[in-house]
Amino acid sequence: MRYRLLSSIALLTLALMALSAPPGGAGPARGGTLTIVISSDPPSLDPHRTPSVGMAHAVMYETLVTVDRTTGEFIPGLAESWEVSRDGTTITFKLRRGVKFHDGTPFNAAAVKATFERLASKELNSPGATWLGTLSRTEVVDDYTVRLVFAQPYAPIFSSLRISFLSILSPAAMARMGADYSQNPVGTGPFRFKQWIPNDRIVYERNPDYAWGPAHYKNRGAPYVDQLVIRIIPDESARVIAFERGDLDVLPGAPPRDARRMMREGKFPFIQIPTTSGTYLGLNVKRPPVNDVRVRRAIGHAINTDEVARIALEGLAVPMLSPIAPTIWGYWDGVKQYALDYNPDKAKALLAEAGYRPGPGGAMMKDGRQLEFTVWTYALMTNVRLAIVVQSQLRAAGIKMNIEQLEVSTLLAQTPRGEHDAILISYGWPDADILYFFFHSSRLATTNRVHYANPQVDKLLEEGRTTVDPAKRLEVYKQLQRILLADVPWVPLASSLALNFHHAYIQDVYYDKYGNLLLLDAYRQR
Amino acid sequence: MLRYVARRLLHLIPVLLGISFFVFLLVHLVPGDPVRVMLQDVGSPEQVERMRKQLGLDRPFYVQYASFVVRAAQGDFGRSIHTRRPVAQEIAFRIPYTVRMAVAAMLVAVVMGIGLGAVAATHHQSALDYGTMVVALAGVSLPSFWFGLVLILIFSLHLRWLPPAGADTLLHLILPAVTLGSGAAAIIARLTRSSMLEVLRQDYIRTARAKGLSAQRMVYRHALKNAMIPVVSIVGLQFAGLLGGAVIVETVFGWPGIGRLAVDAIFNRDIPVIQAVVLVAAVIFVFVNLLVDLLYGLLDPRIRYG
Repeated sequence: MRYRLLSSIALLTLALMALSAPPGGAGPARGGTLTIVISSDPPSLDPHRTPSVGMAHAVMYETLVTVDRTTGEFIPGLAESWEVSRDGTTITFKLRRGVKFHDGTPFNAAAVKATFERLASKELNSPGATWLGTLSRTEVVDDYTVRLVFAQPYAPIFSSLRISFLSILSPAAMARMGADYSQNPVGTGPFRFKQWIPNDRIVYERNPDYAWGPAHYKNRGAPYVDQLVIRIIPDESARVIAFERGDLDVLPGAPPRDARRMMREGKFPFIQIPTTSGTYLGLNVKRPPVNDVRVRRAIGHAINTDEVARIALEGLAVPMLSPIAPTIWGYWDGVKQYALDYNPDKAKALLAEAGYRPGPGGAMMKDGRQLEFTVWTYALMTNVRLAIVVQSQLRAAGIKMNIEQLEVSTLLAQTPRGEHDAILISYGWPDADILYFFFHSSRLATTNRVHYANPQVDKLLEEGRTTVDPAKRLEVYKQLQRILLADVPWVPLASSLALNFHHAYIQDVYYDKYGNLLLLDAYRQR
Repeated sequence: MLRYVARRLLHLIPVLLGISFFVFLLVHLVPGDPVRVMLQDVGSPEQVERMRKQLGLDRPFYVQYASFVVRAAQGDFGRSIHTRRPVAQEIAFRIPYTVRMAVAAMLVAVVMGIGLGAVAATHHQSALDYGTMVVALAGVSLPSFWFGLVLILIFSLHLRWLPPAGADTLLHLILPAVTLGSGAAAIIARLTRSSMLEVLRQDYIRTARAKGLSAQRMVYRHALKNAMIPVVSIVGLQFAGLLGGAVIVETVFGWPGIGRLAVDAIFNRDIPVIQAVVLVAAVIFVFVNLLVDLLYGLLDPRIRYG
């Protein structure tokens, strides 16, 4: 009976599929709404007025270049091809023809120029302007050729060019909307903006004119679904439950605990992808006791990163060997031989060298005091769990680590003063140039939170920015990784994996390595 | 009575000035910087300086405050530092959601609170009385972020009756309203009970009973109405308290109201939004209290306004 019922359902499904399939065979079904979720409202849908960009921008805007979802190589987006001058100071882009903005105006070289000029304008003072690097001007060569001219070569530019901050906007809409572009955003992407209920949802509709999808899609035309809804649900558990009930079709980035459970239950298909994020223990090199490089090395050897990934992150992470996470361009596999391996004996020897002797209960003592420092971290579940695992590992080595939880903006504001011993936080970035922000001495007042200043490292970081040839540039970062692992301003901990779930009736959703959902091929099975 | 209302409204001015000054001071004393948050710390030092100047944050504290007061007096709250939308627009958009939730929560609180309280009082020192009061004690004690998640677990995940997040339909309103209203319901229940117990001992109740009124008529017509005077004042206070509770409940249930706006603004150190939200909440608080005071007159003719 049960078998009969099942088979009749199967027959019915087949019949329905036949009905909905386009002539010539079974293909993806058209129509319906796809509902996904993010955790917080984007501050603004105008890429030039927001400190962060994400899914909400990526579905309706497009950039000149994009990355291949399988190889991770830069591939044409709105630009068809490009050429970098030998000295690396100009890049000439041939633009795709026949692309239209959502407001019907054509995409062309003038639009690229107007967009980048707006992004760079002092008056707008856009958070995203950093990504333009040393760009000094944008020249229109002809309608479909545009040239970016840099004051000096800026090697990370391709990593920048694919970020939604550098999406191309409609000049007509920019002129018309001014400061209110966010309320009526216009891009060239597969979905057009329909409605935004702040803190609740953003609704997009299919762009029927879309015909310029990047080459890594099967479908290069308009999306299969009619509507895309991005729900905004701040609470982690509420997000998971909303997904399991079917209020959401796709759950990107499930929290590790729930991800483990859902994998075990096996009810939902999932896609596991590495992320470009890394968590690290940053040690303030100006502050005792961690101003002693032997102490910093000992801490590095006392921490077991395998265990950190396995226990604190539920195994949904890989141990990080270098300050550069393994998915980020510039990571070098040879770094293994320089990595701070877990080695309690080495840690003990280094501490002895620094003058510490085991005291009562194995505590490492010097001048009658235990080796002790305080780490600042954000009050996020993941961070706190990481900190606790590290704390217990260090305790085993006789080092006392206190944990203090701070709110994000407090931590950002306090670290430049240098009154902290250590921090345990994460970053996410697409390019090895991230090291510039964390270790260059010009960043001491802001992102160089470990107060590290090393003229040799400064020089290499600058070279990394200006060396355009990828092979030569990689050499620079190899050297940097070696020096940083010897000086230990950071103990790299782990790089997490993202677990993205979807319901079985959703087909062909993909992600790139930056965690962006790629939706052109996605459809709802009937 | 009009003069009374006018005087009360005049009192609002020093109250608002005091509150806004206090909030301004607090935001400036707490570490954190909206410009750093906005530029995600990757901006160059020049960019940081430029933005600080654009936003007027480079001026001394008292100049910033004075300029805020002058503009606010004209109804201009400026633009949010974080979203760059007009603050008035941000708030106007979210107020209806918070009011909808607060009213629903109040409804839950009043119906449940008075109902349970009346039952407990009329069944004084019975199992029903004690049971009701234990429920009420739990209602006051359970933290709303926990209670909300438990409700989500039961009604969204296991029974699948109600959605865990969002604000589309009336169904979405039920869980947040119950979560938010439960604390107030418990307080109202306890107060209704004790107030009723006192009224039930009054002479006029004995008279009513003596003249042969049915128990039902006596309780609901005479006792309950007279027991309501302290209850109304606590309802007013609780309503204002609900606005505070909304901060947590709105985050748990993904409800797009001003509570969440306030939380986000605080995390981002978005000074104009924090100021405006606090002022709006203060105005609502004062108006609700005024309304409560006026309601007394209707319930108790002995009260006169002068």
